[in-house]
Amino acid sequence: MTIDRAHATALPLLWFREVEKHYGGFTALAGVSLQVYRGEVVCIIGPSGSGKSTLLRCANLLEPFSSGAILFEGQDITRAARPASIRQRIGMVFQSFELFPHMTALQNIMSGPLTVKRTKRVQAEAEAGVLLDRVGLAGNAQSYPSALSGGQQQRVAIARALAMHPDILLFDEPTSALDPETVGEVLAVMQKLAADDVTMVVVTHEMGFARRAADWVVVMDHGQIVEEGPPALIFGSPTSARTRTFLSHMHSAH
Amino acid sequence: MNLDWSVVWENRGALLEGAGITISLAVTTMAAALPLGLGIAVLRESRWRVIRLLTTAYVEMFRSTPLILQIYWAFYVMPVALGLRLDAITTALFGLIFNIGAYNSETFRAGLRSIRTGQHNAGMALGMSPFQVFRTVVFPQALRRVLPALASTWISLFKDTSLVSVIAVGDLSYASLQLRSQTFRVFEFLTAMAVLYWAMGYPQAKLVDHLHRRFKVTE
Repeated sequence: MTIDRAHATALPLLWFREVEKHYGGFTALAGVSLQVYRGEVVCIIGPSGSGKSTLLRCANLLEPFSSGAILFEGQDITRAARPASIRQRIGMVFQSFELFPHMTALQNIMSGPLTVKRTKRVQAEAEAGVLLDRVGLAGNAQSYPSALSGGQQQRVAIARALAMHPDILLFDEPTSALDPETVGEVLAVMQKLAADDVTMVVVTHEMGFARRAADWVVVMDHGQIVEEGPPALIFGSPTSARTRTFLSHMHSAH
Repeated sequence: MNLDWSVVWENRGALLEGAGITISLAVTTMAAALPLGLGIAVLRESRWRVIRLLTTAYVEMFRSTPLILQIYWAFYVMPVALGLRLDAITTALFGLIFNIGAYNSETFRAGLRSIRTGQHNAGMALGMSPFQVFRTVVFPQALRRVLPALASTWISLFKDTSLVSVIAVGDLSYASLQLRSQTFRVFEFLTAMAVLYWAMGYPQAKLVDHLHRRFKVTE
């Protein structure tokens, strides 16, 4: 059976090839191969400790890996002259938001363009304003993170990542640290980005989101991909026993 | 007991000049000890063991011996040991700067270490260089956290400058103590000295209290 992957092209935007990571005797990633194509939303699901976040952090060079390769637009990221030049083009949203507490929402969003791209302040400010509006927080430009709810902070963090005009956005469990009532507003923003064809890789426990927004779902367990495919297939008729077990646990938990 | 306060008034010039030297000693010391402390704090986290070892040795040496000994040592021993002879005020400044620099480095180090790695990662993820992360993300937050501690060091420094009087630097202490022994007006001059130190120190202490309140960490 050939599975239709609508966004597939000759060259994936992000390409993991046999990526392995070991710390001491522990294997965090046991040879992961995965393609992410431009315009695609890939959701990575799986039990805690299965290596999902580690995989994501390797793609951004925030964590080194032991062997294999990660290619970004065909270029080996570990061979980049400066890791910063790769990271500029790969946005990241963290579970714990990591907004800069000494900056207002607007300043947070401007920080990347101002510092890294040396964008003119007037322009950076105008763009940051547009982005704040895009995540539904136009009225909070001058708020400090401590005055914002978790959901609002995460939306600012998404805007901050978008401000660098990245080619791809990585989300590391973006709603796991949120109060249940603010999860929806963050997912709504992410769904809007997906509709705008922003390329995203989302590590998540939100099965509803994966089902609705993903073009491709990847199931990981014990540092390996156990199954991947379109959401209809993964959630409708998973072939792997481990996927079925995981999904049944998720259903009973929700 | 008959007190003669006019003698204090007559010598106001010398006292005020001493107070001026006290202020400039404290200001100059802090101005140099802040960058020194920050530099040492960063070097103590260096990748190279030798650098960590040297900077740690420096900090522990200056933190574990009395300032008065350091001043005496710089004045009497350094010229013999190192063949380096400086005038009294330069010697005093070196002693104060190295001493306060050691304390500041510990303060900065605690502040820098208190910023969680997630903040560092967030800066890196935006494409910032390690230096840009330090300058725009880590250092401003660390500085805010340690500002009250730095202010407390400043208050101590302001009073500790009095120790340089032991090598005849003409600060407020030296001026007062000289006048005391010239005029035998012990009560008057020690009181005048106390009033002057208090008049300068009290507003600073109040300012520090304000800083403590103003920069309480909120996240």
